[in-house]
Parts: sequence; structure tokens; C-alpha cells
Amino acid sequence: MSDSPPSVRQRASKKKGTAQAVLNSGSGSNSEDELLSKKQKVSAPVPGAFGHAQGPFRIWLFLLTAAGIITRFYKISHPNEVVFDEVHFGKFASYYLQRTYFFDVHPPFGKLLFALMGWFVGYDGHFLFDNIGDSYIDNKVPYVAFRAMPAMLGALTVPVVFLTMWESGYSLPASIVAAGLVLFDNAHIGQTRLILLDATLIFSMACSLLCYVRFYKLRHLPFSRKWWKWLLLTGVALSCVISTKYVGVFTFVTIGAAVGIDLWNLLDIKRGLTIQEFTKHFIARAFGLIGIPFFFYLFWFQVHFAILYRSGPGDDFMTPEFQETLSDNIMTLNSVDIHYHDTIVIRHKETKAYLHSHPDKYPLRYEDGRISSQGQQVTGYPFEDVNNDWIIIPGDPTPEDSDKTSIVKNGDLVKLLHVVTNTILLSHDVASPYYPTNQEFTTIDIEAANTDRHNDTLFEIRIEGGKVKQDFRSMSGQFKLIHNPSKVAMWTHSKPLPDWAFKQQEINGNKNILQTSNLWFVENIPSLAAEDPRNVRTPKEVKSMPFLKKYFELQRTMFHHNNALTSSHPYSSQPIQWPFLLRGVSFWTKNDTREQIYFLGNPIGWWLASAVLAVFVGIVAADQLTQRRGVDALDRRTRSKLYNSTGFFFLAWAAHYLPFFLMGRQLFLHHYLPAHLASSLVTGALVEFVFCVEPLETEKVGKDGKKKYTPRSGPQSLAAAWAAAVVVIAAVAGGWYFFIPLTYGSPGLDVSQVVARQWLGYDLHFAK
Amino acid sequence: MSTKPPARLTVDEKGYDRARSRSPSPSRRKKANKSKKREDGPLSMRDSSFRKQDTSSGERAPRQMSKDNDIFLLPSSDYQILGVLTVIGVCVRLFKIYQPSSVVFDEVHFGGFATKYIKGRFFMDVHPPLAKLLITLAGWLAGFDGGFDFKEIGKDYLGPSVPYVAMRMLPAVMGILVVPIIFLTLKAAGNSTATASLGAGLVIFENGLITQSRLILLDSPLVTFTALTALAWTSFLNIHEQGASKAFGPNWWLWLAMTGLGLGATVSVKWVGLFTIAWVGSLTVLQLWFLLGDTKNVTPRLWFKHFLARVFCLIVIPLGFYMLMFAIHFLCLVNPGDGDGFMSSEFQATLNSKGMHSVPADVAFGSRISIRHHNTQGGYLHSHNHMYPAGSKQQQITLYPHKDENNQWLLENETNPVTGIEGYDIITPPNLVFDDATIKLYHISTDRRLHSHDVRPPVTEEEWQNEVSAYGYKGFEGDANDLFRIEIVKHLSDGPEAKKRLRTIQTKFRLVHVMTGCALFSHKVKLPDWGFEQQEVTCAKGATLPNSVWYIENNEHPQLQEGAELVNYKNPGFFGKFWELQKVMWRTNAGLVESHAWDSRPPSWPVLRRGINFWGKDHRQIYLIGNPIIWWSSTAAIAVYLAFKAFAVLRWQRGYADYSLTNFRRFDFEVGITVLGWGLHYFPFYLMERQLFLHHYFPALYFAIIAFCQVFDFITTRTGALGLNRRPAIGWTIATVFLGLSIAAFTLYAPLAYGSPWTKAQCNRVKLFENWDWDCNLFYNSMSEYDNIVATPSEALTSTPVPVVADPHNFQESEGKAQQPNTTPLAEELKEAHQIPAAGMPEGQRVVAQEERIEYRDQDGNILNEEQVKALEGKVEFHTRYETRTRLLDEAGNEVPAESSGVAGPLVDGANPETPKMEPLESGLPPRVDAETESEVDAERRRAEPSPASDGLHET
Repeated sequence: MSDSPPSVRQRASKKKGTAQAVLNSGSGSNSEDELLSKKQKVSAPVPGAFGHAQGPFRIWLFLLTAAGIITRFYKISHPNEVVFDEVHFGKFASYYLQRTYFFDVHPPFGKLLFALMGWFVGYDGHFLFDNIGDSYIDNKVPYVAFRAMPAMLGALTVPVVFLTMWESGYSLPASIVAAGLVLFDNAHIGQTRLILLDATLIFSMACSLLCYVRFYKLRHLPFSRKWWKWLLLTGVALSCVISTKYVGVFTFVTIGAAVGIDLWNLLDIKRGLTIQEFTKHFIARAFGLIGIPFFFYLFWFQVHFAILYRSGPGDDFMTPEFQETLSDNIMTLNSVDIHYHDTIVIRHKETKAYLHSHPDKYPLRYEDGRISSQGQQVTGYPFEDVNNDWIIIPGDPTPEDSDKTSIVKNGDLVKLLHVVTNTILLSHDVASPYYPTNQEFTTIDIEAANTDRHNDTLFEIRIEGGKVKQDFRSMSGQFKLIHNPSKVAMWTHSKPLPDWAFKQQEINGNKNILQTSNLWFVENIPSLAAEDPRNVRTPKEVKSMPFLKKYFELQRTMFHHNNALTSSHPYSSQPIQWPFLLRGVSFWTKNDTREQIYFLGNPIGWWLASAVLAVFVGIVAADQLTQRRGVDALDRRTRSKLYNSTGFFFLAWAAHYLPFFLMGRQLFLHHYLPAHLASSLVTGALVEFVFCVEPLETEKVGKDGKKKYTPRSGPQSLAAAWAAAVVVIAAVAGGWYFFIPLTYGSPGLDVSQVVARQWLGYDLHFAK
Repeated sequence: MSTKPPARLTVDEKGYDRARSRSPSPSRRKKANKSKKREDGPLSMRDSSFRKQDTSSGERAPRQMSKDNDIFLLPSSDYQILGVLTVIGVCVRLFKIYQPSSVVFDEVHFGGFATKYIKGRFFMDVHPPLAKLLITLAGWLAGFDGGFDFKEIGKDYLGPSVPYVAMRMLPAVMGILVVPIIFLTLKAAGNSTATASLGAGLVIFENGLITQSRLILLDSPLVTFTALTALAWTSFLNIHEQGASKAFGPNWWLWLAMTGLGLGATVSVKWVGLFTIAWVGSLTVLQLWFLLGDTKNVTPRLWFKHFLARVFCLIVIPLGFYMLMFAIHFLCLVNPGDGDGFMSSEFQATLNSKGMHSVPADVAFGSRISIRHHNTQGGYLHSHNHMYPAGSKQQQITLYPHKDENNQWLLENETNPVTGIEGYDIITPPNLVFDDATIKLYHISTDRRLHSHDVRPPVTEEEWQNEVSAYGYKGFEGDANDLFRIEIVKHLSDGPEAKKRLRTIQTKFRLVHVMTGCALFSHKVKLPDWGFEQQEVTCAKGATLPNSVWYIENNEHPQLQEGAELVNYKNPGFFGKFWELQKVMWRTNAGLVESHAWDSRPPSWPVLRRGINFWGKDHRQIYLIGNPIIWWSSTAAIAVYLAFKAFAVLRWQRGYADYSLTNFRRFDFEVGITVLGWGLHYFPFYLMERQLFLHHYFPALYFAIIAFCQVFDFITTRTGALGLNRRPAIGWTIATVFLGLSIAAFTLYAPLAYGSPWTKAQCNRVKLFENWDWDCNLFYNSMSEYDNIVATPSEALTSTPVPVVADPHNFQESEGKAQQPNTTPLAEELKEAHQIPAAGMPEGQRVVAQEERIEYRDQDGNILNEEQVKALEGKVEFHTRYETRTRLLDEAGNEVPAESSGVAGPLVDGANPETPKMEPLESGLPPRVDAETESEVDAERRRAEPSPASDGLHET
């Protein structure tokens, strides 16, 4: 705080009065220490409470940065093979470089950075990172450049942590402890020297905390240039977090909670803000912390769409309209208009089953005693077959419809004639074999269909997202087949029918029309002669689609697939295991040299940090209880720091950790890394709390019975804190050194060395 | 800001004081003398009433003591009104309770459970037992003998003469009790008699509560016990507010203990009761917190007395009650049933006839063992002579849940003794198997060995999985891929010996494949038809520990017979069983995620967006829908309070002194408690991913109705602003009018609640939204048509949206069909489900095509012919048992006798050599031999078949 010249300039010009009032009135519970240092600033350039000296600080900043770079870049070219999730993120970078469309559940920012890196070094993206263990050397991939990007971000995370502590007003040893815990953490190192997204995520998250701390320190100069600068920087950092992975929401929760508390205090009548001023505060923060990040977030998607203009492996996830915006898309190429009296093959989008029928009838009575219509079975069948052929005929034959060339339009009423059995598809108010709530589908002969059952054979073609009377096309026209009189949609599901239907799929009428599982498409038109003009493929021009529409579609699909990631993985773990570091993840192994990369934190550092979190909770609880009974154990400034600053770090930890308990998806140890960073901050803060025993100010009761506070003059003795810091750093560095072979994947270990590292029964390889 | 000069002008210390007093320490608030008016801020709204005795602040405006609202001291006119209302409640609830005379909705389950209780057959349900026990008790007292299976919705009660009216009376009586309870609760909360009567009236005429309480369902007891808890807790709060002098008096203890009992009962009906516990718990913590801050009056000793009293009444009593219910549950269910499959082997061994003989503890090379998977109830490591259709195309390895000859493995050393595999039998003393031993497992019936190699398994085609197969032929020495290493899992193994060497049951171990380092693994993934839907077994690299742990259940060795040390499953004891059942219930509950035709999500409940179709038959229908007037107005009351609260808090922060008004403060406090109850019974559902239904909202609805009444009370009798408080008659009038409206709405929707005749026109008229999806076409056009139909059966209704109670969930499937009776003489159907060619069979032989055959056998294994079977029908029970038998044809097409090829032959009663011969269940009847496998076989068969959707829904 004292490293920058007091920026009273702006304030002095027009807001002096207000600022003075703020000083006098006391500015709420959070601001005591800041207030006091403000006073000092105004009166004389006294060094900070701890005698914050610039020299040692700069030296340490440099040392830590250098150490960060060394630890992250050491042996970065090893292993020269694809490791763990490099399979995915390396592949995505290649897709970007080849500009082919792909689909992934993570937002694009982190992946774009890799692509940028690849572009810088002139890589063309020819290698697709198919398997763990594929050689980079043989495939000529500039993998070191790729890995350098996250490694650099990982290295920079260390000084950011240091700065966060320093800016929050902690002493040098405390800041060093916090930074050291991240510096010598095997998990941070392991995760950031590979082509993975977490380095970007953690770095942006740390920057968000730092920027917010800087912003908060300027709260006595609201709306000043610097205030705006740090507010906007916080917003930008936040947007980077959320644009890398959706767990970035937790950083929003952290900052959001702190901002909420801050705003609540600003609203307090004693702060002296009018409602107008408060509204201004509110809007500024909403703009800086919500508006700006969202804008940036959208921006990355625009970049994403702009880069990926070619058809690729992600096409199938998107709707036909979307696919039409990609060049050389197969589906768009093969799409032709459908005319009445064409023979068509209809396929279910989700289960890929064909609409099928055969002469067998539904049994009279099902096993549960319900009865059927005994009509001809209509089923879903996964293989090509002549029984999948249907002729589409107009629902209400009028003279012009007999014209062969009339195109089927969206919203038309049609009938479907089953070619082999010469019967017409029908649905009626009879329960289907498995679903008493859904209607049975069957077929009837043509005479009946033309007479009394006419209505029951009418189906409406409803193209998904289509315009009125739009042409009905094969492949690209995904549609729902709505039974006209009863308004049910043709639907199927994967549970096979019993033997009487040859274990084929049940087809029934679903009353819930809106479900996306009701979608079908025409895969093929067997009746279309090869020389038919419709078969002449003219290169279609690529359509465009508004950005927001594309964005919303992609966003929906991403959420849908993110929730579906529930399959098991041998190294997934439960959130409760993380703070205790019970289990790591095997990233890579090499049998010849007995080398392996086993993703694991530094147990000493993690256990220390987790223990300190418990200590923090204990201290707060004890303080609350004693205060409640009227006993005051802490002095005013210490308590303020404990609750506001350390409390903020603790909040960050909780917000980045606890929500994982609510998630059903597959979780891994690396999801804890942001929380671990926050717990390191708490650890540093508590080192200072515990080892700086002297109160920060003295309390005297004045003549009028009021208490007076005098800040300590002169620097506090930090000897104990330094000693503690040395011990902690030494232990943590020792732990780091011990686990180096597992983190860097070299050197190979013999059995006894592996066994020596199986501290909590970590499932390392080559232990036997 | 200029509007509040006094606060603004305080000097630095004042500001400091106030600021700090607000966040960490409310008690310090008193120091700020200038801002004392703001002391009763939002945080202190409860404070103000919990701290009535706090006289430390002399400047405080003297506040009158809270009025005593003891419900024992009401004027007798109140009791008379209460009586009248209850009588009305009785009429409304019991009206034609015998109708419909067939199974409705979840009566399928809860009626079915009564049957199982009476028969003592163990079942698994996601709900605790209290309400089910009560229903059973009602049925049993009325003479129900468990002879009806409640199999499906619409099944007729009258034919089998089930005392279903008596069973429905229990929820109905419970539902009636809510009427006096809400009346008393409102009185205890200090409301006027008019308000209390209004509340009772609303409960009487709430269609949803009526529908739910007329059927054999758990929600009516749940609401009643929740209401009872709320009554006890409100009464306790009332005494608590009277000040320190009333603490620890008889009434104080009574209501605190009653609260505890109520909580215990609520949570013993459904786990939703945990929300009630959260409500009482959070308020208790607040009480204690304020007592702690009262340094003047509450000494530490006194505080601990308060603390311990609450611990005892609110934790010990409910927990004790809850466990007592489970103790009764276990006492009732002593026989095996369809719930066995969920429980561990130890648990199952405590059920009658499910125990097994003790087996030798020591495992030696040459032992014939069966190996069981530790983490899933998938069963035994199994192989049969069928090949994988893909991958290596070698013989399948699966997990099979039943005892079977094909589960027998011979434990071999790395190097076979010269004399062949039988050679182990003569080595004396036998070589025991120690940790780290390398072994081979020889499948006795097919002469192949457990084998693994770098081929992806057929179903779980993951990079980290290897296929496991059986490979070899008779006389084959084996190859290196047959070698597995035993790794004892020390922390799961029981006893020091078992940690060192392999012991039956006690030792839990992993089997690590020597060549590839993967561990034998199984998980809840079923193989397709070709694997008979048995559970997949693979070899997983870095397998998660629980799924790669195995143990030996059966163990035979010729050398270890006489005098060998024997072991058996440990009896888990009550606490072990209790805790295990809790865990299984939790897992099963969380696993109910499939969608259901009538489910709904929480946001739709307060606005009554959709109901549940319970039953439809004979052109009548029961559809769970609330009384829209009551439902929406109660939701509106909640919204009013929340708006009020937000407004009040903002004004407080801006320095307005609203909280100095008694009515303002009391409104915030009293309604706040109720709305907290509503919120805690509502919002947690948002976190649940399982299927949810409208009836999950009922406890929250109860609180919402109370909140509505309280708001009404404040408007009509407490605030003087509108002048209503001076004319109680106006209050009565408004209450009557509102109640009249509610009754009118009730009448309109009543046919859906009672399943009464209705006409299409009437139905369509009141169907306000498309989402209220009962089917109007079901009803006749005119009432007169109902007179004709009475006698005719109802097949015309094939299209009726019969309430599906869906979910082909494994567990649920096993629910519906659970009525395999278990009395004695035994005839067996013996089906050849699949055929097992001999292991190592000579080239020219081929397997005869799969075929199925049914044989009837008596308990001695004699085949019965058709006449004999006919003669026995009706007198005896038939049990199904599947057997696999192998027929082989040689090159010439002649059948090779199965026995000669060393294959497990038909095992009439040899399927499980370890099965204890059962004592006859009833004297004079021959012993049955297959008690062991019967229900499991049924379960297996059910899993194998696709089962209709209406098998049974399990819901909360």
C-alpha cells in the first residue's frame, strides 16, 4: 500500500469534503486498518505497519518468480509423448489450427490460447493426439511450445499469490509462506507443465483475487481512475476464469459475496451515502464485474466460431441449421428435397433406429394384462432393411397433389404407406406395450385408411425450428411426426420389446411433444433414381446464422453434455478426499525406464494448509464464543484482519471447494487446485496471526469512558514469523523434492523407492 | 442521509461500535446508545423475543411480557369450536372412504409392504418403517392375513376381501387429526379464534390433503407428525418467551419432549422429516446463541443446563425413537424376501434360512472355493461354457448371484503337482496360502483357468480395462497369463491371521494379474443377452479399491474336514444392521432418478402447475390436485412476507426505526418462523435429482397455510391501521367469506378427490389449465349414465391413462412380483436356460441348440408327470429354479452323456452343497432343499426379462 504514492490527487480536487467525512465517520467494520494507514499516509509517509520495505520485497518477488519459472520449466520436454488429457486439449488445438469444427464442454478461451501458441510457432495441426503415449518426436509436434504456455502461467501464479498477500497487508514471511506453498506444490507443477486448461484457470483465478484486493484497497477513492482500473481488471480476470472452465463460476461467487458484503456496508446509513451515490456504486460494480466479463465471454465464442468455419467432428452435436453454416458439411451436401410419393427411410435421431414394420401383430394381451389392438407391429430397427421403406403420400389428396413433383412442406398433413405390407401408418387411443400413457402405433390397410380411419392416419410433419411451409428435406430436415387428431409425437426408446417383436424397439406416441428425443430425420430416398435432377449435387453456399443464435445453441448443448459426464474413471475421486490428499491420478507411465507421472500434491503442504483451515475455523468459533460471553481476546485491528482479509481467503476456499459436493459428474483431484491456492493464502495469513503475538494497537479508556486506540509505532518483531516461515518452507520444499520423480516423470524409480513414496497407499505403478 | 441526522452525527467511536456490533457480535449492540432504536434489527428480531428477560439495557423501552398462549388455558368456547371443526373434518375425510374398491397409485407399494410385514419377508424400501408399520397394524387388527399382493393399480379389493377400509382408516384418522392440530398451533402462536378456525377450515377443505389422506399412502402420517411437531414447538416457543422463570417447568419439559417425539415420528415416516429437524434445529441454535449472549442472567452452568436439556429432548429422543422403529422392523421381518439382494452377506445371514454352514477357515492350495465380490451384491465369480462373442472369443467370466456348481474354483499353485490337480488333496499338511502368493484359479466344471490378456472387454471398452476369460482345456498346464497374485487388503480383513494369509470370509483380497498388473474387477454393469445379463468381470488397471476386492465364501478341502477351524459370517448385530440399512436406503433413494410420467419439479409446486393421476377406472378418476384458492393464497402469503422482509431489512440498513413498533417486530418474528419452516421444507428439494412429485410439497403447504393465517390475523386483529382490530366481527366475516370460497372450489374439484361420478361438461369447466392433465373424456356426458354402469366391467378403457407407476428400476421390478409364496411341498420347474458344452470338448462335438424345458420335480428330485402335477396343483406351491444342463453331440450326432464329460450334471438338490437342510416349516411336511436359491432365482429371472412399466414406482 505504501509502495504507491498516495493518490490524493483526484480526491483533493473535488471530493475532499466527502473523503474527509468518510475518515471522520469511520467507515464500517472492514476498514479499520485501511483507515489507519490512510491517516498515516495523509500525515506522513510512514512505512507500513510491518515496516514494509521495498528492497526485500522486490528481491523476494524476483526470487519467487525465478523459482517458479525454474520449477515449471525443468525438464519440460520430458516426456516426449502424449500425457493424460493432452489427448483432448492438444487435439482441440489441432482442430483450431485446421479450422475444423469440434465440440467440447469447456468454453473456448483456454483452448484458444493453445491454438495461438501453435500458430505462433507455425504448427499446422496435423497431429490429432489420439492416444496417451503417442510420440511427439515421430509426429513432429512442437509440444514444448504448447507446454510452455501453461508452464509460464503456472510460474506467474507464484508471484501473483505473493502479491496478493503483500497487497492485503501481510508481512514478508507470511507472503513467502503462501507463495512457497504454491511454488513447491507438486500438483500445481504437474498440472501446469502439460497441455491442460488448469494453468489458465488457476492463474486467472489468482489474478481475480489480486485485482479485487487492489480494487478494495482503493475504496476510499471511489470512481477514481485507479479505482476504475482495478475494477475493470477484476472483471477481465473473472471473465478469463469463466471462459476457461465453468468452475470459474466459483470465483464469481467468491468475488460476488465480497462485493455483496461491501455494498451492504455502503448502504449503511452511517456511511453517509445517499441512495443516488449508492446506486452509482452498485451500477459501477454490476457493469465491471458482470457486464464486462459477460461481454468478454461472448467475445471468445465469436472468435471460436470465426476460426472454426469448416465442417469437422463436432458437426453431429449441432442442429442442421448450424451445420449449414460450416463449409463442406456432409449432411448439407446430401440433403435433397422430398416429393410426395417418394419412398423414404426415416431414422430416429437419438437411438439411430429406423422406422420399421413387419407383418407380425401385437399380441392380444401383454404380460401385465393390458390388451392391445392386435394391429401390425411398428417398431424401431437398427439395420437397413426393405421393411424400413415408407412412401409419403399427401394426407388429403387433391388434384394438384397427385403431381409427382410437389414438394413436401413443413406443416403438411401426410400419410405413410409401408411398402412391403402395403399398409398405412396409424396411431390411435390405445396404450402402447410398455407405456400405458403413450399411444400405440400400428398400420392398417389402405381401404380402411381411406374411409373410416382416415383421420387416424394423418400425421403432421413438424420440422424442428423450421419456418411455415418450408421445404422438407432429407438429412437436414429433422422433424417431429405429430399424429394429427391426438397430437402425440412419434417416439422410440432403447428398451427392446420382448421376443414377440424380435427385441426391436417400441414405437409409440409421446404426449410430451416438446422432448428433443422425438426428433426423426429422413436418411435416404431409395426411390430416387440416380439420374434424377435432385441427385445432382450443386455445391451449396455456406449459410450464415446470427452469432447469438449460434451461441445459445452451443451453450445449451454444452450444458447438456456437461451434465452427462457421469461415467466412471479409474482415477476419479470424491471431494472429501481432496484436502487430505488421499489419492492422485496416474497421468503417464513408461515400462522400459520405470518412469511415471503421478499427479499428486505435495502432501506436507496440503496437510498443513488443510490443518490451518481447521485452525482458522477454530479461532473464529472461539472468538465468537468468548465475545458472546463478553470476553475480548483480540485487539481491534487483528480481529478486523482476521475476519475481513483472512476471512475473504477462507471464503474463496469454501466457494471453490464446497460446491463440488453437489456435483454428480466425474471429479478429479485437479478440481481442488483453485481451492488449494486459496488455502495457501489462509495458511500464510495464519502464520502471521499466530506468530506475531504483539497487538497491533493499544487500547486505552479515556476520561469520558470511551476507548481510544493508538496504533503501534515502530515495526513489529517478525523474528518468530520468519522462523516459522523458514521451517514451513523447508518442510514443504523437502516434500516437493521427495516427490519430484513422480511429478516430472523422471528419473525412474526402483521398487523400494516407489514403495517409499506410497504414503497413504497411493496407487503408484511399478511398486512391485 | 439527511433524514437520519442522529445516527449520522455520531463520532468515530460510535460508528465503530455500531459497525462491529452488527457483524460479529450482536450483543455489543447495546453499547451504541445513540443508535439504540435500531437495536432490534433484522438479526435481532428473534433476539428480541428470546431475550425478554434481558433487562441489562436500562434505556430500553419497557416491553410487556409476551402474552401467554398456553393451549391448555383456552376458553371453553374455543374447545367447542375445535370440536365442531373436527367433526366436519371427519365427515369430509371419511366420506365414502370405501370407494374406490381397487388399488390406487402407491397403495401398490404400501399395501404390498403390509403383506410383507405380515408374512415377515424381508423387503427394502427407501422409507423408514413407522407409517408402514401402522398401516400393517391397522390391517392386521382388521384381520388381514397378507393374502393379497397389491400388485397393480386397479386390482380389485372386494373379491379377495381385503380389509382395505381399515387400512385406509389409518391415514384418514391421521388426516383428521391435522384439523385440531392446526387450530391449536395457531392459538399457541397467539392468533385469534377466528384465524384459528379459518386455518382449520382451510385444512379441512384442501383437496390435495383430502386425496392423500383417504388412501394407503405415507404422506398423511407425514403431514400429521410434522404438524404435531410444529404444535409442540410453537407451544415451547410460547413458554420460552415467557421468560426465565418458566424455564424447566413441567410445561416446558412437556413441550420440549413432545417436540423431540414429534421429530422422531416424522423422520420415522419419511426422511423428509429431516427438514423438520432442520427447522427446529436452526431455531434451537439461535435460542442457545441468544442465551449465550445474555451474560447477566444466564450463568454458564444454567446455559449448559439449557443446552443439555435440548440435546436430550431434540437429539436423543428422536434418535432413540427412530432406532426403536427399526428394531420393530427387524423383529417383523425375519424371513428372506425380495429385499435380500440389496444387503450384504452378513446381513442376509441373519435372516431365517439364509444362514450358511460354517466352513473351514484356512485356505490351502487345492481348496475348492467360491469367490465373492465384496462391493457389489453381484455375487460369485462364475464361468460357464459360453464364449465371448467378441474380443478373444474365449470363455466368459461373470458374476452370478446364486450358488452354483459353476462358481467352484480350485486354488492352484504356480506349478501344478505332478499328480495333476487332484494331487493337492494328498499333500499333508496342506500348503496354506499367504499374502503375495501367486496362484491360478482352475474352473472345475469346465477345466479352464481364469485368464486375462491385453484385449478390451466386450462391454466396458475402456483403455484401462482388460478382458478376463477362462482359457485352457483338461490337462493343459496353463500359461503365464493365468497367474494372479493375492494382495490382501489389510484394513478390510478381520483378525491378525487373516491379514497374513488367506482365510475364508475374513480375508479380503485383490487378485492382481501378474503379467499386466491389472486387478480383477467387477462393477454394476450387466452383460447383454449373450452373457445372460450377469454382471461384467474385467481386469482393471488402477482399479478403484472397493470394486476390486474379493473374498472366499465357500471353501472345501479334503484335508481340512474333521476338527478344522471353522468360520462363518459375523452377526452384524442390531447396530450393524441398522447402519447398513440406512446406507442402502440412502443409495437407493439417490438412485431413483428415472423420469416418471407424473413427476414434477419443485418450481411448479407453489403455483400448482400439475397434479398426479392416481387412478382411473369405471369412468371415474382420482387425480391429486390441490384446492387452487387455498394453494395460491398461501403462496401469496409467503410472497407478501418475503417482500415485507426485504423492504424491512433495507429500511433498517438505511436507519429507519420500524423495528421499534411492536406489531412490526412481532410480525417479522412470528411469520418469519413459519416462513422459515416453509423454506426448509421446500428449497432442499431443488438439490434433489431424484424423481419428485406434487405430494412432496405437502409439509411446506402446511406451513404456508399457517403463514397465510398469521398474515390474515395481523391484518384483521392486530394492526390498528385499518381499524379492523376494533371490530372482530369484520374479521370473522372475512374469514367466513374466504372459507366459503374455498369450500366452493373444493366442491368443484371434489369428484377428483373422491373418485366420484362426474360429467364431461363439469370436468371441462373447472379444468383451468392444460397442465392439469386429468382426462375429461373419461367421464360420461351425463350423470345418469353412471347408474347403468355399476355392474359392468371396465375393459372399454384400454386407452385410459392409467396412472403409471413406472420406473423399471431393478429394485422396483423386484417389488411388484414379490409374491412367491413360501410354504412347502416343492415341485420344481427345471428349465434348461442354456447349455454348457464340456470344457475342453473334443473337436467334433457341438452344442445342441439352446432350448428350454420345464420339468416338475418333487422335493426329492423325482420327476413328476402331468397328472401328478395336476393333482398337486392348488395344494402345493411351485418354485421355479433354473438349471443349466449340457448336452453334447459327438461327430456322429449321438448325444454324449453329460456326466461322462465331467460337466456339472443336473443338480436336483446339489446346486448348493453347503445349504443346510431346512427344518420343515410346518410339522409333517417334508423338508425343502432349495429355500436358499429360490428367491434369488426369481430375482434373477425378473432381471432378465423386460418388465412392464407398471411394475411399481418407488417414490417418497
